[in-house]
Amino acid sequence: MTEASTRAVRIREDRPTRPSGRWRRTARFIAGRVIGLALTLVAASLVVFFSRFVVPGDPARFLLRGRSPSEEAIAEVTRQYGLDLPPLQQYLNWAGGILQGDFGRSLQYRDDVSTVLLQRLPVTLELVALATLFIVVLGLAAGVLASLRRGRPTDRVILVVSTALGAIPSFVIAILLIAIFAVQLGWFPSFGSGDEGLDRFVHLILPALALGLTFVALVTRVTRSSMNEQFVREHVEVATSRGLTRPSVVLRHVLRNAISPILLVSGVLVAGLLVSSAIVEQTFGLAGIGSLLVQSVDRLDFPVVQAIVLVVVIAFVTVNTIVDIIQPLIDPRIAAGTETR
Amino acid sequence: MKRRNGALRRPRTGIAVAVSLVGVLALSGCGQSAIGQHAGTFELTAETPAPAGDIDRFTWALTTEPFSLDPAYAFDYADNTVLSNMCESLLRWNADLSVSPGLATSFENPDPLTWVYTIREGVQFHDGTTMTPHDVVVSLQRHLDPEVGSFWYSTFQNVASVEQTGEHEVTVRTTEPDSQFNQLMSAAPGVVQSAASTEEAGPDYGNQSTGVNCTGPFQFEEWRSGESITMSRFDDYWDPDLRARADEVEFVILNDANARVNALQTGEIDGAWTIPTNAIDPMRASDTGNVYFGTNATVQSIVISDMEGPLGDVRVRRALALALDREALAQAAVQGYGTPTDSLTPESVWRDADDATRARAFDDIAHYDYDLEEARELVREAGAEGERIVFATSSLDPSFDVVSQAMASAGKEIGLDIEIDTRSQNAYTLLFSDPAAIEGVDMFTTLWYLSSTDPLEMYSVLRTDEFSNYGKWSDPEFDDVVNRAVATLDADERFALAADAQRIATDQLPWIPLFDLPATVWMGDRITGVDPSINYLYFPWAAKIGRAEQ
Repeated sequence: MTEASTRAVRIREDRPTRPSGRWRRTARFIAGRVIGLALTLVAASLVVFFSRFVVPGDPARFLLRGRSPSEEAIAEVTRQYGLDLPPLQQYLNWAGGILQGDFGRSLQYRDDVSTVLLQRLPVTLELVALATLFIVVLGLAAGVLASLRRGRPTDRVILVVSTALGAIPSFVIAILLIAIFAVQLGWFPSFGSGDEGLDRFVHLILPALALGLTFVALVTRVTRSSMNEQFVREHVEVATSRGLTRPSVVLRHVLRNAISPILLVSGVLVAGLLVSSAIVEQTFGLAGIGSLLVQSVDRLDFPVVQAIVLVVVIAFVTVNTIVDIIQPLIDPRIAAGTETR
Repeated sequence: MKRRNGALRRPRTGIAVAVSLVGVLALSGCGQSAIGQHAGTFELTAETPAPAGDIDRFTWALTTEPFSLDPAYAFDYADNTVLSNMCESLLRWNADLSVSPGLATSFENPDPLTWVYTIREGVQFHDGTTMTPHDVVVSLQRHLDPEVGSFWYSTFQNVASVEQTGEHEVTVRTTEPDSQFNQLMSAAPGVVQSAASTEEAGPDYGNQSTGVNCTGPFQFEEWRSGESITMSRFDDYWDPDLRARADEVEFVILNDANARVNALQTGEIDGAWTIPTNAIDPMRASDTGNVYFGTNATVQSIVISDMEGPLGDVRVRRALALALDREALAQAAVQGYGTPTDSLTPESVWRDADDATRARAFDDIAHYDYDLEEARELVREAGAEGERIVFATSSLDPSFDVVSQAMASAGKEIGLDIEIDTRSQNAYTLLFSDPAAIEGVDMFTTLWYLSSTDPLEMYSVLRTDEFSNYGKWSDPEFDDVVNRAVATLDADERFALAADAQRIATDQLPWIPLFDLPATVWMGDRITGVDPSINYLYFPWAAKIGRAEQ
């Protein structure tokens, strides 16, 4: 233990850079990331906004879907929603509004987009959080177990099961879970998000499993292979030969070194979760932003679509930026803003 | 009152509007024949067993979420199913499709251009204020305001003025005689809401944050976006006969048909209107509740949406009608829960016509009995062999796919190349509102319901240049007959003209009629009392539901 840390310190001291230089570099790295994030968002907002002009269909028609709308009403509604302005003007109004927290009016609900979104965001975030928990706990546990038992029957079973799970789409898993645990056994409710608190937790267990299981498989396999790679490395053999206990070897020398790819994969997963939540939400009758997105695309409710896509882009970019930033903290070999990651 | 495998014989007067269809997803295979010989047969029921008492709460499934509860935008199943319990109209549409006084105690038609409504006294809004003729005037005038953009604008297109003309009197004047306006006063266009609340809420009226302030037996409580809408009993409701028997009703939004049927069968949700036809047999076999069939005003048809293409030739349209074996299709597409018809209007909306007129409307019209030989001949005559026709479909209703497949194979038999274009549910509903969505589509299926007891509600939308005349079909003789009928206030004369319109439409087939469908409702063992009828769209049906004897 002491010898190991001494060695790490020595390696660091061997480097030519002084500590203050490293911090400056870290700061520059983070600033660069944040600027990149901002640029990405601006670019994304342009794509998100103007893509609606490619989609066929007239939103004003959707707003007047009765029998025979009057000409004045069509003109009036077009004006109310600013659809008569030049596209660039529409974009500037929209972007300006967002900076002030105003995402516009939803065409389908005739309500503020922010109101519609805020009502639905909590369910999706709770669902994704619970699914992430399942993914991390189950995925890491299964991966670690498989790696510790590599080559043995346990490993093979985990490998086969995770391969199978990874191949089943989440909506199939959802239907299976409902059929077994809600309809047959009656342990869990089959739809809805329940009331805040414990009830919500119970309602979200099946959807979170349906959402997470596919990704559990991915994390399991990444953990397993990444750990297997470490097990045959010299430093692990040295540590073992020096008589360190097995848990200590696994935790400090294998898992810690293996964590980097796992973290990277997890970062990508979070955005994936937000997107695949649409199907799961639909199946479980959950009113989250996933199901709202699908429905809004079909109904030409572009202010809502734009807001959701922007939120997902922000989540994706932010999570990945955070992953980039914390990587060096977990694995000192990766100094921020330098070399090979 | 009961008739096997068929629609009610006697319709009455009414009005209405049609709308596209509701969302019902295809069920996966759960075929089951525990109900044996009853499968695919049905009897219409006027009412269900009376409740044993009040109930604290029950839940009801909605297939889609309403967009808004503002009556100006209540134009589809989901919104009206909910709204009808909170907001009432000047007139009432009863379960047998008759019309009786509602918020107006009576109406008069002193001359062809004038409708005078006597407004009921002592009626309170949910916020405790008293309804006045001013509220009626504001509620009706709103439909004419371009800023509101009411979906019911066409009902008011002939209205010149809406004025209070007495202490309890409101007078509506029209620019030309319009028999349809008054009939729709028993539907959403006739809803009266608080003028003060409407003004205060502005564009937010009826949305999730605001709800509505009307006079119905239930009041708005909460709308959880995408999940549920809750309403509670309004204790100061004016009509003791329709006092709500439940303290609270929660509408649960479940888009997925499987999930909905599961939830109904397990009792997680107590009831639902419009059971997917492919789930009716399994649900009838279930011992946790009952399926009831009732009066409807819905015909499933094929809309011909492009008269420029090969279907512009009436011979090709007739050929398609002849090439469809509708008896067999009724079994395959709606599991027998529908009656093949040659008319675009259901018999139920002819209840106020005399027998001779009704016989003329349904017997003295063209009939399209399955005849492939003749169909082939017609296609040959029209020189349409090998022509490509696009049929749009979606999983909106489980029958749509079956109908489109049947159409494609019928087309093959008679020398037409029918291509199926499958769309998402919401994209499909756009066919009914956005002319751009129809481009490139020759035909699609609809479940078209009427909101009044009058066949003219159907035929008036098929006149030249009407918005819902999707294929831009045009027939001067038809336009003339319908225009004269709309302007005819005498019911007998009007039905006689409507019968003429029906004859022309059936002969020319701007749309191809398929089945006359019954209304369906499921109630779990906990609840009972509702009248199974299409009038649930505009009548406070949920007020009648209470605790079932167990």
